[in-house]
Amino acid sequence: MTERPYWIAAGTMGWGAIVLIKAAELPQFDQHAYVGPGFLPSAIGAGLVLLGLMLALQIRRGVSFEEQGAEDVNDDHSVSWKALGLAAAACALPMLTMKPLGFVITCAGCFVLIAAAFKSRRWALDLLLGLGFSLLCWWLFRKLGVQLGGILPLMGK
Amino acid sequence: MDSITGLMNGFSVALQPQNLMWAFVGTFMGTAIGVLPGIGPALTIALLLPVTVYIEPTAAFIMFAGIFYGAMYGGSTTSILLNTPGESGAMMTALEGNKMARQGRGAAALCTAALGSFVAGTIGTLGITFLAPPIAELAFIFRPQDYFGLMLLAFLSVSVVMGTSKVRGFISLFLGLSLGLVGIDKASGLQRLTFGVPDLMDGVEMTVVLVSLFAIGETLYVASRFGLHKPNLNPLAGGIWMTKQDWKRSWKPWLRGTFLGFPIGALPAGGAEIPTFLSYTIERKLTKHPEEFGQGAIEGVAGPEAANNAAAAGVLVPLLTLGLPTSATAAILLAAFQNYGLQPGPMLFINSGDLVWGLIASLYVGNLMLLILNLPLAGLWVRLLFIPRPYLYAGILIFSLVGIWGVSNSWVDLAMMFGVGLLGYMMRVYDFPIAPVLIGLILGPMAEVQMRRALAVGQGDPLIFVSTPLSAVLVAVSVLIVVVPAALHWRRTRKIDPTGESSSI
Repeated sequence: MTERPYWIAAGTMGWGAIVLIKAAELPQFDQHAYVGPGFLPSAIGAGLVLLGLMLALQIRRGVSFEEQGAEDVNDDHSVSWKALGLAAAACALPMLTMKPLGFVITCAGCFVLIAAAFKSRRWALDLLLGLGFSLLCWWLFRKLGVQLGGILPLMGK
Repeated sequence: MDSITGLMNGFSVALQPQNLMWAFVGTFMGTAIGVLPGIGPALTIALLLPVTVYIEPTAAFIMFAGIFYGAMYGGSTTSILLNTPGESGAMMTALEGNKMARQGRGAAALCTAALGSFVAGTIGTLGITFLAPPIAELAFIFRPQDYFGLMLLAFLSVSVVMGTSKVRGFISLFLGLSLGLVGIDKASGLQRLTFGVPDLMDGVEMTVVLVSLFAIGETLYVASRFGLHKPNLNPLAGGIWMTKQDWKRSWKPWLRGTFLGFPIGALPAGGAEIPTFLSYTIERKLTKHPEEFGQGAIEGVAGPEAANNAAAAGVLVPLLTLGLPTSATAAILLAAFQNYGLQPGPMLFINSGDLVWGLIASLYVGNLMLLILNLPLAGLWVRLLFIPRPYLYAGILIFSLVGIWGVSNSWVDLAMMFGVGLLGYMMRVYDFPIAPVLIGLILGPMAEVQMRRALAVGQGDPLIFVSTPLSAVLVAVSVLIVVVPAALHWRRTRKIDPTGESSSI
């Protein structure tokens, strides 16, 4: 069975349309530089819409989509939605907790979630390792001058 | 400043104890990273970009160059011993190298790979030393339209060469170009595609996009399809050193690989894949032992490894002389230059001579360090592969958060990490190439500046883009790159199979 992911073509055209609409609000031409700030966005938006159409045509003709190879990937590329969900949750977590809870706690949470996505069962150990590793990173990169915020923003530190 | 005095100055910079230390840190980290799955040189340098606030530019670039060369070495070690190429340039090495290791000749394979990389890296660096200054001189007479033609060529060739499908390559490129539009337009001061979000006024942060596409996308992808192949380590038995026969069969492939890799690496979108593949094919044709190919022929390791490293050196030529990045790693190096307020190109050789020549000299030093580091330590590097995967990928996510949160402590960047990470996952599942996004993001705004300058000079006449011989040639080549394969494909499908369909368009 050939998969027909029309939604990718639709997404490409959709983003192209957004770029086009936003570009239309800007002047296309300019007195001094001849092309205005809107010219290139219009061209790129139009290009995206066109490419989305071409992709849709290819999909209609049954073009195949081979997954890219990577290390540590199982041979038949079977998908575990639970693992994907856990990993995605780990990547979404910082949006919720980074500001209120700070870098160290957020990263410890991400660590546990990713470890769980990779089928680790030792929660307590993961949490401990995650906290230790986050603390180490926070301290080390702060020394190097990277601003990562306070250790516990809730307590005002 | 001519090359010799420049290089001498460079060595006086590179050999300072402190800079030697940075070169060591870089080569050490680079090798470790080349061995580990999931992180490549581009990602590592991107994660280290926030550190540039604290380290002075010369030291930072010496370290980055070490990472760049080191990652190439690390990739070959795992290809040979475990048949897991850490990056795309090492794929050809795995073919013959792993067969050799299975026959107990792993040590000889590692040896010819390390020496070949050293020879190629050194000749490649010589190439940079003597070619870069004249090319940089040449760049002074480049007009805006020439730069625009050059960038056009880079855009089109990256999209056509990378990946399996041109349409998908171009979608990646245009996605990158559209992300490059975000922010305040420098010429008019008007906001473009910011959707009223103040955090987006300065544009999309390159680091955020790169880290999300590579690290987050890869983590999501591997997590969803996780299946650990127990690495079978082939013992390093059967002769520690190369035999006389091995030397005799290796030195010509080293040189041929170098002379393929360097010029192709220097072309826009040359990359490391094409020269390694070409080198493998040529060695297979020229060998006196054709029966050994596929069973572990030493030429098949020596040639591609040399080509791989020479291509890495070649990529630095357009980057340093013209400010033109031709690979994901080069794009990140360009971003690092911009972080320091430096613009690679002809002026760099004049204004920051110490930095450029220190960087070039450190490439010689780094190459030698890698040779010393790699021959005895190959067994140690391979141990890195036994890090439990849950902790490896969890660690990669935390490093990514350091890189992304450390840029500007902005919530928008975190949201972007999630969104672009999902995009990276999808691009892996549906086979969209990733490098064109980065090239579009970083070169797009530069191309727009050159386009406007050219039009201002030509008073709005679009013919200005083909007004100099160079720009005319570049534009013509760009058009041919797209048109010729399409025309050939069209003719082929017409002749043989009128209803024929192919996935290769």
